[in-house]
Amino acid sequence: MAEIKVGKYTVLSDLLYTETDEWVKLEGNVATVGITDYAQKKLRDIVGVELPEVGRTFSIGDSAGVVESVKAAVDIYAPLSGQVTEVNGLLTSSPELMNKDPYGQGWIFKLNCTDLNEKVKLMDAENYVKKIQKGE
Amino acid sequence: MFVSPLFAIEEKLGANFGEFAGWNMPMTFTNYQEEHMAVRNGVTVFDLSHMGRLRVKGNPNELEELIAKELTKAMPSQMIGPTAFLNDKGGFVDDVMTYKVSDSEYLLVTNAINREKVIKWIRSNSSLAVEDLTFDLVMLAIQGKKVKDIFDVDQMSHMIFKLNSKFLGKEVFLLSRSGWTGEDGVEIWAKPDIAGAILNELVQMGVKPAGLVTRDSIRQEMGYLLYGEDIDEETTPIEARYWVFSMTKNFIGKDAIVEQLKSGVKKIRFGFKMKKGLRIIPRNGNSVSSLGYKIGHVTSSTFSPFLNRAIGMGYISPSHFFLGYTLEVEVRGKTYEIKVDDFPFI
Repeated sequence: MAEIKVGKYTVLSDLLYTETDEWVKLEGNVATVGITDYAQKKLRDIVGVELPEVGRTFSIGDSAGVVESVKAAVDIYAPLSGQVTEVNGLLTSSPELMNKDPYGQGWIFKLNCTDLNEKVKLMDAENYVKKIQKGE
Repeated sequence: MFVSPLFAIEEKLGANFGEFAGWNMPMTFTNYQEEHMAVRNGVTVFDLSHMGRLRVKGNPNELEELIAKELTKAMPSQMIGPTAFLNDKGGFVDDVMTYKVSDSEYLLVTNAINREKVIKWIRSNSSLAVEDLTFDLVMLAIQGKKVKDIFDVDQMSHMIFKLNSKFLGKEVFLLSRSGWTGEDGVEIWAKPDIAGAILNELVQMGVKPAGLVTRDSIRQEMGYLLYGEDIDEETTPIEARYWVFSMTKNFIGKDAIVEQLKSGVKKIRFGFKMKKGLRIIPRNGNSVSSLGYKIGHVTSSTFSPFLNRAIGMGYISPSHFFLGYTLEVEVRGKTYEIKVDDFPFI
């Protein structure tokens, strides 16, 4: 997966993105979700996370958890509708993984998506780069 | 927005910048957890160029009338503080550190956010001459448990300062054995080029640069207050339990303070700890209750990397201040238990 640099921020070419700065990696019906490098740099030092419960069902845009940093607490939103199949339990004791490796070890939860047509509501890397550039 | 004269050097050192009180300053260099632990276990350097630095000259009796702690009995080269400018209701105009150069000359460090307000306050309430040194000099704080490894701090007593002194062989305008971290250390005021050279040299010696996020978590562990968060013009030293005044002289706000000492206050500053393992930080304004009744609010909170738990401070009714007592704080619609504690937390 190619890395795109936007100033000090990294965007990965093959992921999808939300307006609220989550990234989504789609493999079949399963979406892995995390916060982007841009989001973690804006939040700075992350000290906690409230993970969704496995088995919970979310509609697209629902609040699915909270990321807590020394600067602010922000909601994480379900990028697509679906049921939570897995959460990254490592983050409970090591939430700083979202700072250190936002697209890897810092993933937050996986969703079994119920409506892949919703994909059109997400941005590709090129559009997410434009969103960051606009915000800076 | 103002920017530190050391911006370019700090950018090369990997600083992440952010706004504080109208200044674009390093918030972190690596991450605040590492920097925080380096203050407690090693040596760090902070750029504090945003802090207001003023030179005040004139009749010392006029300054005594403005500042809550007695200055004239102190010796030259002595720091007096923290103290404060209070309004006639006893509220904080600003909390400041004072440096006595001579009977008729003092240096002041103000909060960045209050620099202009303090200048106006002094000018409108006295005939003292005020000179703003903030933009001419960089302020660095070298702080940490192991500060003696890099500098012989014992050549000076605590709260003593020297003018036109040397640090690492370089000319500095002011050198003091002081800080705001609870650890040993020195603070220097120097011309930007000299301060830049000192910063680079310190980093080469293994001193860790630290940002304002760390300064905030460090000061909260010690229970030090931040103007605008924990105190303001509506809050008095009695409510804040912040001893910044002398009763041996007159000063603006004294009558209000004496009145509060006689008849008591309705709120008092308290410290609290969240349960271990709960990685949630209450925010300024979050409400504090007991038995379902609101009795106060949070003013500052952070996650202490040293204690590995969230800590904070705020104001509650004095009747509820029992050490170890359990209260509740509401954070984003959920209620969490907190334990009343006192400062410093470490």
